[in-house]
Amino acid sequence: MTGPGLAGVRMDELRPSGSSRRDLRQKEVQDRQDRRRTFRRPVRTLETTRANQSGLGGRHLGIGLSFSGGFIALFLFWRFMIQWYDYPLPLPSLAAWALLTATTVLALVTAQRLSARMPDWLFAAALACGGVVVVLDLAGSRDTGDVAVYPTAAAAVGSLLIALVTVRRGRDVIGAAVVFGAVLLVGALTEVRPDPFTLAPDLMTIVLAVLPPLLGVAIVRSFRRMAQRELDLVLVQSTVSQPQFAVGMLASEELARIDLDAETLLDDVAQGRSVLPLGAEKSTTAATLATQLRLHLIQGRRETWLHHAIAESEFLGPSVNLHDPAGLAGLLDPAQRDALLRTIWLLISDTSRAEASVSLSLGPIRPTHGVRARQKLRFPIELTTTGVPRRRVDPETWQAIRVVGPHIDSSQDGSLRVEIECSIDNPADA
Amino acid sequence: MQRIHKERDRLLRRAARLAGLSGSIAVVVVMLVPGGFSLTLLGRCLPALVLMVTGQYLLGRSGRMRWVALVVLAGVGMILLIGFSEPRTSGLNLVEETAIGALAATAMSSVALVLVVTVRRMIALFAAFAATLACVFASTISSPAAIVTLTITICGWFAVALAGWWVAQSVPRVMQRIAAIGRAHLAERHASELEAQRRQDARLLHDTVLATLTLLAHSGVGVNPSALRQQSGDDARLLRQLRLGGLPTPRRSGVYTLEPATASTLGNTLESVKQRFGRMGLDVDWHGSGQVLLPSDVLDSFLLALGECLENVRRHAGVARADVTITDDDTTVRAMVTDAGVGFDLLGVSAERLGFAESVVARLRDVGGNARLFSSPGSGTTVVLEVPK
Repeated sequence: MTGPGLAGVRMDELRPSGSSRRDLRQKEVQDRQDRRRTFRRPVRTLETTRANQSGLGGRHLGIGLSFSGGFIALFLFWRFMIQWYDYPLPLPSLAAWALLTATTVLALVTAQRLSARMPDWLFAAALACGGVVVVLDLAGSRDTGDVAVYPTAAAAVGSLLIALVTVRRGRDVIGAAVVFGAVLLVGALTEVRPDPFTLAPDLMTIVLAVLPPLLGVAIVRSFRRMAQRELDLVLVQSTVSQPQFAVGMLASEELARIDLDAETLLDDVAQGRSVLPLGAEKSTTAATLATQLRLHLIQGRRETWLHHAIAESEFLGPSVNLHDPAGLAGLLDPAQRDALLRTIWLLISDTSRAEASVSLSLGPIRPTHGVRARQKLRFPIELTTTGVPRRRVDPETWQAIRVVGPHIDSSQDGSLRVEIECSIDNPADA
Repeated sequence: MQRIHKERDRLLRRAARLAGLSGSIAVVVVMLVPGGFSLTLLGRCLPALVLMVTGQYLLGRSGRMRWVALVVLAGVGMILLIGFSEPRTSGLNLVEETAIGALAATAMSSVALVLVVTVRRMIALFAAFAATLACVFASTISSPAAIVTLTITICGWFAVALAGWWVAQSVPRVMQRIAAIGRAHLAERHASELEAQRRQDARLLHDTVLATLTLLAHSGVGVNPSALRQQSGDDARLLRQLRLGGLPTPRRSGVYTLEPATASTLGNTLESVKQRFGRMGLDVDWHGSGQVLLPSDVLDSFLLALGECLENVRRHAGVARADVTITDDDTTVRAMVTDAGVGFDLLGVSAERLGFAESVVARLRDVGGNARLFSSPGSGTTVVLEVPK
């Protein structure tokens, strides 16, 4: 009788701790998702990047990938030439090649002109031309009797798609490639073959049609991701030169917005557009604005560059927790700041796992024994990571940590803990 | 520069892994065309294929030369196995030839992506290409469609090497452009900081705006509408000037000097506060010294706190006049705001005190000052504000 009772008690004891741990974990994930969802960049930042971005090198990359696809097309064209006399009627395939060449050239030219997005109708037109090419070429190379004739122009449609990888979304291009590949596969499987082995070159042809655009999309995607991440880093690196405490760009914009809203409201009242006494909606707006303004004027200044860097970064924001009540990060010199930022950056960006996170805790300042002039202030920076195993930490990260200060590291449960001993010039001596 | 190369290498080796693995899938598909490969040949090729796939996967993780070598050697081994492991009379069949083509042109050529970055790796690239080509040539020489296999091998390697080389060139280009954006953005950040500083420096302006907004939050009840409209117009005009980049000086109230002066006299500014509350129906009587010099930030906070106290009197005390007594000694300036209104129980008020603490006390503490509150129901309220000189 005691057995079940004991088990019941133990279950009851265990359950809360297990579930609370799960709750905590869920809360963490939720928190991170929230931060990710609500992330936004300052308008100034968006404008600066938009003015300079223009696909961020995508155009240059697009040209190269098109050339590369051109080699595959060259092979297919060569094959078309050598099987010229095997065609019962080479005209459809010839027409297909002519149409494909024209379409590809047009697509390349427009893609370079556009440099950003290709409109839907143009993409649809290019795909329609591709479809016609596939049909013409398949019709020309099907059921050719004893001599095997393989589709050529139909497979070279892959090169057309490559020309579009930088101006269309990846999934558009992948979808088109898969559809073309499926059509070619159906064509290959339904063909009547005197020699069943001719299926193999047909399959190879399909691979040549589908693989290049897929790889192109993959390369462009990781290229873009790399560029985006680098951009994010460069944008927040500008915080390094801030004074000890500064108003962040977001807060600055927020204050400007509140001022503008207040101005509009006050102007409406002054001009009689809003009749006094004010309605419930307007007076609520006034109350909200007053609260926001008050908060901005009261706080607004006590933030360090590190806080701004994390808040303004799309990659760091969701994954980094900062605990720096005394604003000690603001006391670091520019080299230390840069290194600290790079450290967090490398820790987060080197792992492909999404749940990697870093917690930073600065301070408190260590008591100094005896008062001497020019004595350095010392405080610890404690850096704890989750989801970043020690062996995956890049040597460059350690190099950056050493710039911040001498450190001791330990590893526990796959999470890394680094304690950096930071010494800085006493601002009182300056 | 080091990081750019790292990013570039990571991009290239990931692409190499993807290209290699999908190429290997293509090879398997071709090998499985019915009747093309004998079972023994399939069995012999399997270990080499597994080795190659392993190499391709690991290449994507570290990009080391040893994985390149593993992929190339396993591929070469497979080509030679297909070509020479079985005695034959009339060359390879079409499936075997195509499998060799797929192997050489896709699965093996993927290593070219990581070999385009340095001179030493370029040499390795040529060596790997030459070895592959030689094996393809040797294996297929006696077969009918040997020329097709050779051509596709060459085209495949060229296409992949060109793509890799081009990506390697694109990365530093885009990094340079991003660095340029970073420089532009640094300038933007400085501009933003200056802007924020300018707006925060205009604290006096914000204080009057805050007072007016608070009135409007109560729908403007209890204030003369035309006076409130006038005050709103003044505030809106000043806010517009601030927005357009000026440091506006209020004209009507004539007092708020928003230049970052180091010190200002208290007396001038008190008159404007009096005028403002006069418009709203609260008579303020000043007593005591008006000629006290205060640093501008202290003055700002002092006036804000004073304004908030008077606003509280106006809204809650139920009387139309308040007395403000200013005294100062060597270190401190003190303002005593007194009214003969309803008063309140200090312990019974929570929400009000919250507002008081936030707007008055926090502001004063900011500049090293303090505020004290004395009140009881029915006998009025007295607030003492202190700021250091």
